[in-house]
Order: sequence, then structure tokens, then C-alpha cells
Amino acid sequence: MGQFLSFLWISIFALLAFSSPALGADYHEQLNLRPLPQSALLASFNFRSNTTVSEFEKGNFRFFPRSLGQILQHAGTRELHLRFSLGRWDAESWGARPWNGAREGGTGVELWAWLEAHADDEADRKWLTLTNALSGLFCASLNFIDGTRTTRPFMSFQPEGDHSTLTNMHLLYGVLPHEVVCTENLTPFLKLLPCKGKAGIASLLDGHKLFDASWQTMAIDVRPICSPGQECVLQIEQTIDMVLDIDRSKRPRDNPIPRSPPADQLPCDTSKPYHSHDTCFPADHTANQDWSLSQIFGKPLKGTCPLTDPAVPPVCLQVPDSRSVFVSEGAFERKNPDQVSRCYEIPPSADFEMALPKPDSSADTTTTAVVAPETPLLYAERSFTGHGQERGGVQTILRNPSPDTDVEFVYMETLPWFMRIYLHTLQARVAGDARTPNSTTDDNKLVRQVYYRPAVDRARGTQLEVRMRVPPASTVFVTYDFEKSILRYTEYPPDANRGFDVAAAVITVINPHHGEGGGEGSGDDAGGKLGRVAAYTLRTTSLLCSLPTPDFSMPYNVIIFTSTAIALAFGGVFNILVRRFVAAHEGPEGGLGVVLGRVKGRLVGLVKKGVEG
Amino acid sequence: MPRLLASALQLRRDPRILKLPPYLSLLCILVGVAWLFLLPLDQYSRRTYISENALLPGQVHTYFGGSDQNVFRAYKHEVKELIGQTNTEINDRLDPLLKGLGLKTARQNFTYHAAGHTYAGENLYAILQAPRGDATEAIVLVAAWENVRHEINRNGVPLALTLLRYFKRWSLWSKDIILLLTPDSIAGPQAWVDAYHDAHDPSRVSSLPVKSGLLQGAIALDYAQESRFDSVHIVYDGVNGQLPNLDLINSVNHIASGQMGIGVALQEMWQHNNGYRDRLRTMLRGMLRQGFGLASGAHSSFIPYHVDAVTLRPFGDGWQDEMAMGRVVEGTFRSLNNLLEHLHQSFFFYLLMQRDRFVSIGTYLPSAMLVAANFTIMAIALWVKSGQPTEGTTTTPATKNTTPATTAERDLFVPLGVVALIHALSIVPLYV
Repeated sequence: MGQFLSFLWISIFALLAFSSPALGADYHEQLNLRPLPQSALLASFNFRSNTTVSEFEKGNFRFFPRSLGQILQHAGTRELHLRFSLGRWDAESWGARPWNGAREGGTGVELWAWLEAHADDEADRKWLTLTNALSGLFCASLNFIDGTRTTRPFMSFQPEGDHSTLTNMHLLYGVLPHEVVCTENLTPFLKLLPCKGKAGIASLLDGHKLFDASWQTMAIDVRPICSPGQECVLQIEQTIDMVLDIDRSKRPRDNPIPRSPPADQLPCDTSKPYHSHDTCFPADHTANQDWSLSQIFGKPLKGTCPLTDPAVPPVCLQVPDSRSVFVSEGAFERKNPDQVSRCYEIPPSADFEMALPKPDSSADTTTTAVVAPETPLLYAERSFTGHGQERGGVQTILRNPSPDTDVEFVYMETLPWFMRIYLHTLQARVAGDARTPNSTTDDNKLVRQVYYRPAVDRARGTQLEVRMRVPPASTVFVTYDFEKSILRYTEYPPDANRGFDVAAAVITVINPHHGEGGGEGSGDDAGGKLGRVAAYTLRTTSLLCSLPTPDFSMPYNVIIFTSTAIALAFGGVFNILVRRFVAAHEGPEGGLGVVLGRVKGRLVGLVKKGVEG
Repeated sequence: MPRLLASALQLRRDPRILKLPPYLSLLCILVGVAWLFLLPLDQYSRRTYISENALLPGQVHTYFGGSDQNVFRAYKHEVKELIGQTNTEINDRLDPLLKGLGLKTARQNFTYHAAGHTYAGENLYAILQAPRGDATEAIVLVAAWENVRHEINRNGVPLALTLLRYFKRWSLWSKDIILLLTPDSIAGPQAWVDAYHDAHDPSRVSSLPVKSGLLQGAIALDYAQESRFDSVHIVYDGVNGQLPNLDLINSVNHIASGQMGIGVALQEMWQHNNGYRDRLRTMLRGMLRQGFGLASGAHSSFIPYHVDAVTLRPFGDGWQDEMAMGRVVEGTFRSLNNLLEHLHQSFFFYLLMQRDRFVSIGTYLPSAMLVAANFTIMAIALWVKSGQPTEGTTTTPATKNTTPATTAERDLFVPLGVVALIHALSIVPLYV
């Protein structure tokens, strides 16, 4: 009986130990494939796991990566967002960004976090700890995010997680636009996953393919999530989004050189009158390609990760239902009711392969082959104006494609201190509108609110946040001028003539259906709660600012030159300084001086005679 | 010592001193010109060398060719059909062709009024976005519809299109590649590059709707010749005598002659025997062109904006075909693509006398300074002379204790008036 009881106790314990965390701590992963126009393919990898806050605080991490968890605990981080990005999203042809732009960063590395601290100093100290620790963990130069690159955004970022209180929470934001994201950042990223890169969708990730993508971004988001009636959980979400060029990805790795195809394999437009065996007008480049998973990623999908939640299908594909897709044996297709996507249940331990043949060559292939991309809420493009080494300007073109709705957003720039902006030149004007900017009534004002924190030389950068709007179906130009300051000799990097990277501007589109009660342009509304209202986030490309660079061999020349001059002058000057002058009749007569004087006198006499004659 | 000083002061008033400047001036000219004529000698000029190690010219295999030639022929047919049509019609036809290659295209209108002529037209340009890049840097390939001699760029335009189609396949570009198609070789590129740097007058030249990053270099193709060619003529003079970085010329030279076995000519020296006379002639032609400061090709407008640019023009009768020219451009673009920093290492002031010999500023400057010094010496002498009383009034010899020589009144109104008038007249060519 006793034995039985103890067995019962053990089984109850076991049940508690294994099932109760499983309620709070789960893990799932999903790969979303979406063919885009112009033979591109968007692959979104999403890995998400939860751990209850109490377990996390006890150090029982389960699916949460221990290495990252300990750093977060040590640095008092309540919410963390880290981005590694490369390339640019071509909104004109690809449409809206995946996740509405919430899971991407500007080129390079971006980090923002909410730290718990009582004072700014303490927050800065914790931030330093955090950046240095993450730098080691992710093999990135995050430790270079120092005071000059750190800002405290006022309007742009709002916490994604549920925090009981926002007092004592400090938001810090740092960005490294010149950081080159590469394989050494991918490896630690994959190590954080429960199945590493060995099984599940992560087995498709490979540095060669990922970093050959036209656009890719790796994101890590850690946030507390509280649902009513349950214990709060700490959620870590790892996302990789990449846009692959199908042509380029299909090229075999052992022969990556894009040699021209043999003449008979070149797709030609045979309707041209001059078409012949040696003359070929190439057929449309954007024609839809056939592809398969292993062609694109270089290897098939290796089963599923055994830890993943079986309820979530691991692979989804967004193509119109009319298109046929072939999958390997054992996989189930489940079409979603929206008619443009389908998901696959795949066998846990077998390789999964998927192939998309060319769409039937019916008349209108563009609409039947790929899902038409969604129009983004806003298009943005930023470039430099002006030239020369002294002044410059920045121009951002913001276009609202919607025919009937305003777009309101926060435009944030973090500029290095050596770009001194002239805030009075900040202008917003609607293209084709001759009226002077900002002269109209409050209601029509483009710029609603400006938050500006000027730079301090060598200590902190400029932070500029502008809350503004773009009227429907119009284009707004935002321009400002700046002055380039001259750096000290030692402040230049080794590749000084390359120029200095300026981080991407972050544009956060405010959800129009949120916070209506706040009132127009009242500061506390905008500063306080944009909370979870970012309808769309986008980032411009980064810029390269060329500063006046000295001739770096010049100090050497100057040293040589001044040394020579001093050596020559020193003798003479020293001689005059230490010599005591006495009148000739006071000094002693005789010696060589007398002889020389006589000779000199004779010479002078001769010269005089010559002058007079 | 005081007596020595006094005698030196006395010497200053010596009339013989005033006779000296013309001889001194002549000596400066003679030495300066003699120096100039010494420059082409081996002892005074240097062999060119690549200063920027990142360029690595001629170190990559070039793969342009094969079935690209079939495409080139097709594009050539397309371009041939457009000859004689208006600028807008040409652009209407080429724009969809470029879009079909997967490039972003845009157009720009411009109208210039200068020297009684109106230069108007429409530029078409296409941006090949660097596959993994961020729009921070760009290289430009210019193919003007007409070259400076008003010949149609029959091979240059289709070659540029074929090259862009080929470049699109590579994933190694670190910089955007911009293809610029202009109606002419002077006004079009000027309008485009002005607008790119926002230095344009928006009422005459429209702004660019699409832009990329900093321009790191530009190559213009001037390939009007129908037959096969033998050598490439590198045109490098910018406006107002500015020159591109010598590394760019050296790279093209290295790629064309070293890697492809194509001859290279400079300053319209179609034959160059590497002798003293040919070197001197090349150098003097270069100096003359610099002196005039006129634009010599589509590349010239880029140089004032610190964008290093050259025009490549195939010439002669040989066995090199369009694909060889394409490979030269490919090789040059691969070199420019390697650049981490803006071209800054090599010389910006130089005189080329052969494709691989040059004199740098340190060597040729003394000659120019000596020639310039003669004007200064004579000017000072004439000024002093004009201040002295004329011969007739001062016949008495200067005695030891005479008062200092009186200075005569200088009548400056006429000379200053003449100078001002001549300067003012320089406005005339802008309107006539």
C-alpha cells in the first residue's frame, strides 16, 4: 500500500513537473514562404517560446536560452529588441513589409531595450553591461554602442510587452549602421534555438544562402506577456526574414558564376522580325520561375523539431489556390479559407521537399502565379542633397499611396554628432504645393510635433523626432540642412575616405483608430501612449556622409619640416640671444677681427666708388 | 655692418638694377620652357603605377560574352530602329526595355540656354540596385545617344544595355550601378549630375525622382564605330582643366592593355611610337586641352563633383569586337566595385605623355612657376619704372647726399578701365 502511495506521489509530481510548465512554456516554429513579383521569394522563419516569469527568475529556463536569459537578468532588462539587417526592401515591387515592419531593423545592427533603473546613470550603466554582454554573445561590435550612439527615443518606440508599471523603465536605443552582418552572427543566433540548426525549419538556414539574399533581417524580441487569469510569461521570439532572388539561389554552389547560358537555352522573344540563330531578344526577365525547397536553400527540410507544438503547421506557403504544388510523401496540405495560403503538416523524421512548377502558361500569369502584394501605408526614401565638404542637406520623400486617408507617423533620425543640423531649416512641404510650408491652419499642418535633442560634440548624437502627417494621395518632402564638423586627427577611422555611415531613419506609422481622445498635438498624448499602436514601421536606407579628410601623411611632413626649420633657426637665434654686444672702441683691438674689419672696409670703399662712378 | 646696409640701400637706387628684370624674366622663360622639354625624357617622367591597392585591376576573370552577343545583336537592331526618332520616342522605347531587365527607371527633362542656343532634352536613367547593398554608393555607366562629334552611339547604347542585363545576374556588386542614357554628350550629363547633387536650377532642369548613394566613379561609352576596333582611346579631360584620379586611368589602361591585349591611346594620338616627339606631343595636347577647359565627353561634367570619370572610345581597324569592349567595362566596374574608399590615393594633378608614363605635379610645377614668375618680375619692374620721373626731367646724376628720388604720379584710370572692360566683355559669349 505504502509502495503504491509513494508511486502515486511520484507520478503526481512527475505530472506536475512536466505538464504544468508545458502550459506556460511552449515552443513553436513556422516557416512562411511567399513568392513575390520579379522572381523573388520571401521566406519568414519564426521561432517562439515562452517561459513563465517565476520559472525564469528561479533560473529554470527550459526553452529560453540560458546564455541570453542570464544576461537579461544581470542587466535588469525587461524588454529587448535586437536586429541584424542587410540589404533593402524594394517596396515598389514587393509591397508591404512582412510583420508590418515590426521585425526588422535598418542596415547594420540595431538594439533597443527597456531597462529597470532608478536613475539615468544607473540605466546607462546597465545599458553598458547589456551591450558588452550581447556583443560577446552575438559576435557583433555592439560594444561600440557608446554614449554618442545611444539615444532615448521619446515618441517612436513603445513597449510591446505587458508591463505592470512603466515608472523606473528606461528605453535606450543604439544603432551601428556600419556593422556588416555575416555568418558569425547567424551561428550564435541559431544556438539560441532549442533544436539549434539540426532539425525543423532551422535546418534550412545556411549562411551562404541567407547572406546572398537581396534583403534579410534577423530579429530577437524578448517581452513579458500577461493574459488575464494566468501567470505572466516571458516570450522570446526569433525571426529571420529574407528575400531570395530565385535565379541566384538556384545556381549550384559549385558553379556560382553566372556565365551566359548556351545560345540554344536562352529564352528568346521569337516574335521579333530580326530573330535568328545568332540574334535573340531576351524574353521577359520577370517571368515566373519554377523552384523547389532544396534548390532554393541548398538542402531539404530535415523533419520537424521534436519540441515544437504539433498544433502549429511548420511550413506555410502563400500562393493562389489555383496553383499546383508538389510535396514529398507523408506531408499533408491544408488550404486556408482565405484562398491564398496553405499550410503543410510534415512527417517528424523524414526529409520534406516542396516544388512549385511554373504556372500554367495561361494569359494573365501575374495575377494567378503570385499573391498580389499589399500596398504599404507609406513609401519613404531618403537621400543627401548638396555637395562639398562643408555643408549638406538631407531630403526624405514620403509618399502616401492611399486615395482617401491621412497617414500620421513619427519620423525619427539619430545622427552622429559631427553632422550638426540646422533645425530652422527643417521643412515639410507637399510636392507641387506652392504655398509656404506650415502657413496653413493647425488642422492642415504637416508637422504636428518636434522633439529635438541637440548633439554635444564627442558626447552624444542628435536625436530628432517629428510627428507629422501626409495627406492622402500626396508626396511630402522633408528637408533639413546640416554642417559637417571637422574631426580630430585621431578620430578618423582607418578608412576615413569611405565616409561615415548615417543610420536609417525610423518611421513609425501611428494607428489611426487608436487614442482618439488625446486631442490634436497635445504633447503628453504623443509622448505617453503610442502603446501598441504602431500600425506599420519602416526604415529608410542608411546614408554615407563624406567628411573633410586630412592628408594623413601631413603630420609626418610637418614634423620633418618644423624640425628642420627649428634646427636651422635655433643656432642663429641662440647665438644672438646669448651674445653680449659691445661697441667696437670698447672692445679689445687686434686679432683676426681687426684684419677682417680692414678687408671689409676696403670692400665697402670699392663698392661706394663704383656707385658714385 | 651699418655701412654694408647703407651700400645695399644705395644699390637699390642703382639704375643698373632697373635694367636687370627683362634679362631675369627671359632667363625664367628659357629655363621654364627648357624644363618643359626635358619632361618627356625617361629621367624626368615616371612610369604609372596603381596606388590604391583595393582596385586590383585585371585580377578578375571576365565572363561577358557567349550568348550575350546574341542579346547584343538584338538590342542593336532595336537601337537601329530608333535612329532618327525624337528623344522622347527613343526613351519611350528604351524605358520598358530597361524595366524588363528588373531595373528602376526614371526620366529627367532639362532645358539650357547658353550662347544663343537652346539645349533641351530628356535623360533616361536606370538603377541596378546592389543585390545585397544599401543605397550608399553607386557607379555610373553613361551611354550618350550622340557623342561630342554628333555621331550616333550605335554600338555604345546596345552594349550598355547588354552589360546591365549581364550585371544583373551577378550578386557581388557592393555598389548600385546606374545606367545613364542622355540625348547628347555635354548638356544631358551636366543636367543629370547637377540634379543628382541638387545644384540645379529647378525651373530649367527637373529634379531626379529616384536617387542612389554617393557616386564613386563613372565610365562613359562612346562607341559609334561600326566595324571592329583595334584600340581604346581614353578621354579624361574634365571641364576647367580638372582631371580624374590617375588610378582610374591606370586601371582602365591596365585592364585594356594588360588583360585584354587592346591598345590604349590618349589625347587623340592614334599612333604613338613611344619616342620623344610623340611623348612631347601627347603632353602638349593634354596641356592645351586643360588650358581651354572645355568638356571633352560625357564624363567631363562628373569631375567637378569629385566623381572620377573617363570616356572610352574604341577606334582603329582591328579584330576586337563589342564583347571585348564589354569586358573592358566589366573589368573596370569590378575594380571600382572593390573600392572601399573614394579614390584618393593617386594623383589628381599630372600630365600624361604615354599610356604608362606621366609627370606629377612636383616635377612639372617648377617649370610652370618659372614661366609664371617672369610675369611677376616684369610687372613689378614696370610698376617701379612707371613711378619714376621720366628721363628728360632727371638728367642730373644722383649724388651722395641728394634727396630721395621723387615718385611720379601714376595715371591708373585708363589701364584699370581697360582691364575692367575686358572682364566685363566676358559676359558676351554667354548670350551671343
